[in-house]
Parts: sequence; structure tokens; C-alpha cells
Amino acid sequence: MSAPVLSLRSVTKRFGATLALDAMSLDLFPGEVHAIVGENGAGKSTMIKTMTGIHRPTSGMVEIDGDPVTLTGPHDARDLGVTAMYQEPMVFPDLDVAENIFISKTDEGLLQRPADLRRRAADLTARIGMRLDLDRLASQLTLAEQQAVEIARALSQDVRVLIMDEPTAALSAHEAEQLRAVAVRLARQGVAVVYISHRLEEIFEIADRVTVIRDGQHISTRPIADVTSETMIAEMVGREVDHFFEHVPSKARAETVLEVRGLAREGVFEDISFDLHAGEILCMAGLIGARRTDVALALFGIAPATSGSIRYKGSPFSPPSPRAAIAAGIAYVSEDRRKLGLAMPMSIRANITLAKLSDVLSPSGFLRRRREIEIARAFRERLNIRAADVETAVENLSGGNQQKVMLAKWLTVKPDLLIFDEPTRGIDVGAKAEVHQLIRDFVADGGAALVISSDLPEVMAMGDRIAVMREGRLMDILDNAEATQERVIALATGQAPMQEAS
Amino acid sequence: MRAMLARLQSWEGFLTCVVIFVILYNTALTPQFMTMGNQINLFQLSIEKVIVAVAMTFVIVNAEIDLSVGSMMGLAACAFGWLVQQGVPAGAAIPLVLLIGAAGGAFNAYFITRVGLPSLVVTLATLIGFRGLARVLVEDRGITDFPDWFDRLGQQGLIGPFPLSLIVFALLIVAGHVLLAHTGFGRRTYVIGTNREVAEYAGIDTARHKQILFVASGTIAALAGLLYAARVGAVRGDVAFGFELDIITIVLLGGVSIFGGVGTMIGTALSILLVLNLRNGMALMNITGHIQTGVIGVLLIASVIVPRLSLRRRRQEAAP
Repeated sequence: MSAPVLSLRSVTKRFGATLALDAMSLDLFPGEVHAIVGENGAGKSTMIKTMTGIHRPTSGMVEIDGDPVTLTGPHDARDLGVTAMYQEPMVFPDLDVAENIFISKTDEGLLQRPADLRRRAADLTARIGMRLDLDRLASQLTLAEQQAVEIARALSQDVRVLIMDEPTAALSAHEAEQLRAVAVRLARQGVAVVYISHRLEEIFEIADRVTVIRDGQHISTRPIADVTSETMIAEMVGREVDHFFEHVPSKARAETVLEVRGLAREGVFEDISFDLHAGEILCMAGLIGARRTDVALALFGIAPATSGSIRYKGSPFSPPSPRAAIAAGIAYVSEDRRKLGLAMPMSIRANITLAKLSDVLSPSGFLRRRREIEIARAFRERLNIRAADVETAVENLSGGNQQKVMLAKWLTVKPDLLIFDEPTRGIDVGAKAEVHQLIRDFVADGGAALVISSDLPEVMAMGDRIAVMREGRLMDILDNAEATQERVIALATGQAPMQEAS
Repeated sequence: MRAMLARLQSWEGFLTCVVIFVILYNTALTPQFMTMGNQINLFQLSIEKVIVAVAMTFVIVNAEIDLSVGSMMGLAACAFGWLVQQGVPAGAAIPLVLLIGAAGGAFNAYFITRVGLPSLVVTLATLIGFRGLARVLVEDRGITDFPDWFDRLGQQGLIGPFPLSLIVFALLIVAGHVLLAHTGFGRRTYVIGTNREVAEYAGIDTARHKQILFVASGTIAALAGLLYAARVGAVRGDVAFGFELDIITIVLLGGVSIFGGVGTMIGTALSILLVLNLRNGMALMNITGHIQTGVIGVLLIASVIVPRLSLRRRRQEAAP
């Protein structure tokens, strides 16, 4: 084997009293896809940040080509060929693809020759094997294409170590596949690709080696052939976890909570019809852009439907605002924690009580702090939210715990219908199982849950019935027993015809 | 001990120290500084601004801005003068002027919440518009013929040595603190200021909330304009010209973030104490107004930088 391009040598990183990395050692070789797995909070982000110079190790060192280096920041790391990319691609929406690729090239002076630029951009996109129209504005690209632009940009700067942090978390199945192909291709060209993902099936598909970390410590590094998902999960959580994704049927009751008939919003979705019963989980599967969230937003009163009808608990219902929907007992847990779900700088307490502030107000409108703290603590206990106390700012929590805070907020309104949009995106295996259990508990108590998910194993595990959408239309509704992943994908990608409503 | 240190590191803690220092320094230098007369006097000279700063605190915490308050103060004073000149009894003119303030605020709120324009633009337009109206009403004249009781209300002590305006201010800032820190309304003000969409998705009527704040801001500005007329005993078209910047400076200096969601009424109160004492102290030391303004400017920059430094440190410590 050739010499490692980047190595961590016993790197320790402390934040005050917290030990984020504990004597971490790791070698990255040119030409490998090196997957790194671990629960949220295991230290993956901190590790990346020491590789890219955002954090400096408390002790230990980072070596590039065997020489110790002191990285003073991302710019410094990039100069040495180390680049990280994240879920949210950094692109400039009003610039075209070629301009985006060369945005940080400043060494050729002010006058860039557009023709030359375009030719080199074409070379780079060819290298990553994705066809991109160089004249398109970045704002018109899909998320996967934007990420490709970011990778091309890294290539233009002679990247040697490319760190991909959850690159596919927000992508549809097809887009994720494209991106994985890009990762493999880059590795074959000699780049060391660090691939971080919670989707274990991806890792088995593309990784050459897997490193498991837990609690800031290096647990193992093995060739992919030597691990199974069971051993990997066991090492991640430090215990045996079984039957994550086995379907446990809920007990649907006779009572119909929601009857949707021919619902449409001009130009967005059309002819959506389904029933949802108390005690049942209906999963909505589909690719990104299938307009599942738009259906949810119509039910929640954010962007009302323009035609069709909704009957909720037996009577006609068309919420003009989220307020009206909440008052009727509908909760919508958004897929976008940061923008729509949580007031990030505010405390766990303030976030949990937000949707039903009236519960913690005296009749004259004063906050009853003690009651507020009691409610927040009770939910922290019940949902196992891991935080020092309920005054912790939500932005300091891991993704899984943020997700639980959001769920707690909506449970305070005691909903009859819970719409959960991408409940476990970007959260770790342990937290995922907990969130699944919380949704099951919710329906076991007689609630109805509509779960939108792009994660197929999750859809298969959670959905008593599975509604598949494609480009604003409902393709079919499958019973769990008759559904297979292949069937769902076929419907979602249009490989199987739409079922006529009987 | 740690908690005390943490408190000292906060902007409010820092302001408290500076205020104490300034007051001690001034007292040491000029014996008449700490007399009741001088303290009331230094408040009186800026009382209209500090009254409006209470409403402005809510507006900025809500991640909005109201640039039209200075012009509204001018419009209110001029409208009052005009009404009195037209023969309307002063007692009847006062509620009418407050209504004008509310209407002006509602006008701002309409364009901000219904049309969806940024408050910076809307209130910049009404800053010009309200001022124009004020000048149309009084033209180039000064109006001075107010009833005696009205002038007395502005110039003499109402309860002991305390004039009406000071009492109004004291009541407003205490009520403002309770409202912001201890009620559901205050909580919503923070949440909307932190992230309006999160608030909207949580079922909060963010448009109505902003309407209330802008109507309150306009009404309080009109009240301040009336108090100005009573204190000075005369109104002209340029009453309270440029006051909005002093008011916003006080609020930001108190640690309220221009991006919304952060700040307390206590911070604003400390900032008021600091600005008034600093200016008064420097005036007693014969330092010119321009230099005074420069010192306030330096403090304002510090108010933006210092909390960032301590925030960054805290973030890094909590980051894993």
C-alpha cells in the first residue's frame, strides 16, 4: 500500500470540560473511499474540523504526506489539498455553473477568459462523470448537481482529500446514486475520499474501508469485506441492537381521522385522495420534488389547496392558517429543523412550550416559569432528550436531540393527526430507533400519523400503508404486506404505471 | 462565583460597571452632579427620546425597525399645535393626536405585514412623509399659544419634583420590562424576532403581533411628541428632527441585536442611564457635543463587538 496522504496521530480535542476527541488516530490513503460511521455526538464533526483546520488539536498532530502540519483554517487546509463538503452545497445561486466552479480561483488576475474557463469547467465535470450544462444558473440545479459543482470546484483546486459529510442526506434515491458514483470515480483517480453517512447501505455499496468511532474514540478500522451492518451498528452504539427495521404493524381503528378527496393545488399537486385512520401510520414515499411536503402544507394551512376536499374527524375542513390547523389538533413536524422547526438560539424549554404557549400562561398572560420548566423536564425525560438541562440552547444539541425537541413541541398540543416530514433525516441509528418508537407510541394511543420519508428502509418499517407520490400525483397506496422496496422505487421513479383509483 | 463572573462578562454586566464608573467619576469631578435637580434635569433634556426607546426595544427585538418615530413625534407636536390654533380645546386635541400616532403606526404595519415590504423601507418612506405632513401643518411658523395647564404639565413637577414625562417614562419602562420578560406577548416577540417562520409554523399570528408593535410604536411616539410640545412650550416643523437615530443608538447600545431575538429592557434602561450620564458629565466638563457623539459612537461599536467575542468563546466551548 502507498503512503497515507493524511494522518491523524493521537489527536485529542477538548472543549472546556468535554472531551470531543480522545487520542484519535487514522490514516487516509490515496484512492480509497474511507467511510466513517458513529452516532451523532461521537466526534465525527470535530474530527473533520481538525482535518480542515477549523479546530486545532489540543494535543496530537495532523500529518500530510508524513509531515506534521499546523492548519490555521479551511483556507490553509485547501491549499494543502484537503476540502470538506456538507449537506448544503455552497453555491452562488445567481452565477452559472462554470463561474461557480472557479469562484475562488484568484491566481489568474482579474481578466479571466470565459472560453478558457468553460473548456476547463467541461474537463472537470467530465472528470466527475456528471453531465452539467455549464451555462445554467446554480439556482436552477438540483441539490445533487449543486454538490457536483462543489466537487468540481474542489477538483479545480487539486483536491487530494475530499471529505463528504452526509452528502446524500437530503437527496432522492436517484440523486444519491449519482453522487455515490462520483465519490467512487474520484477515489479511482487517486483522491482520498472520506465518506460520512448514516445510510449504512450506502457504505456497503461504495466504501473500501470503514472506521467506527464512538465517544471521541477510534473503535475500529476494517476493510468493508470484514464487517456486517450488525457488527458495525453494535460497535457504533456499544451494544447489540436488533430488528431496527422490522415492521411492527399498528392497530388501525375504524374511526377515519382524515379523508382527502381529489385535493389539488394549481401547478403543484393534483388529484390526491387517501384516508387515514386513527391508530395508523401512513407513509408517503417518493423522490425529492414529488410534492409530498406541499400536500402536508395544505393540510396544515400554510399553503391551502385550491380544489378538492378534506374531511377531518368527520367534518369538512380547510384550514386557512397553521393556527386553525393546530387548534383542530393537527401538528406538522417540519423537515427543515433550522429554518422552520426550531428557534435555534433559544432554550429547549422555550422551544418545547412554543406551540401551546397558553399552557404556561396565567389567565392574564404572564409566563408561569415553574410550570414551563416542569413541562419541559417531563418531555426531556419522556423523550430521552440528552442535554445538561432544559435551559440549553437547541443549537448546541445533536440532530437527533433537536428532532426530539421538535417532536416534544408538537406533542404539547396533543394532536390527533401528526404529520412528520422526514422524521430521521441526518440523525444517528440510536436516535432513529427512538424516534420510530415515539411515533409508534403516538399511534398506539389512538393518534393518526402521516410520515413523509425518503428513507426506504424507514418507509418499509414504519408504514402500515405506503402512499407513493411522483411529480405531484399519487401513484398508488400499498399495504405494507404487499410492498417491496423495488415496487416503491418503481412507482416513485415512474417505472411502474399509476394505479387508477378504484 | 462562576455565575457572577459570567454575569460580568455579559453586555448588561459590562454596562452596569461603566454606568457606575461614569457616575462616580462625574460625582468626584463636579459635586453638583448627583443632586436630585441635576439628575431630573438630565433626564428631562432627553425624556422624549428615552420614552420612545422603550417601544423601539420591542420593535428591534422583533427583528424590525421603525425609522419614522422622530417624524411622528414632530407630526404629533405640529398636529397638536395646529388643532389648538384651529380652536380645538387642548384636552380634546390630545386624544386626537394619539389617534394620529396609532394611525401612522397602522399605516406602517399595513405595508410591512400585508404588502410584505421591509420595515426599513416602509418607515424610511414615512420618516419623510410624516415630516412633510408636519411641515405642511405649521408651515414656517412656530406655534406657542398653548393653554397654561399644558405648559405647566411639561415644565413643572407633578408629584414632588418629578414632572409628568418622567413619571410616564418610569411607568412605561417598568411595564415594558414586565411585558417583554414575563409574559406570553414578550416570549412571542423574541421568537418572531429569532425566526419568523418558526413562529408562524407554531401557530403564532406574526402579522398581528407586528401590527400591534408598530401601532404601539406610533402611539408612543405621538405621546412623546406631545410631551415635547408641553416641555418646550412651542412647536415648529423640525421638532424631534433626527431623533430616530439617537433612539435606535440607545437601544442597540443596550445590547439589543439589530438582527432581532436578543436583548432586554434592562439593557435598554442601563444604556439610557449611561448615555444620559455620559453626555451630562461631559457637558459639565465642557466637552463639546461633537466629541460626546463620537464617544457614544465608540461605545456603540463596542456593544456589537464585545458580546460577539464572548459568544464565540461560549460557542466554541459548547461545540463538540
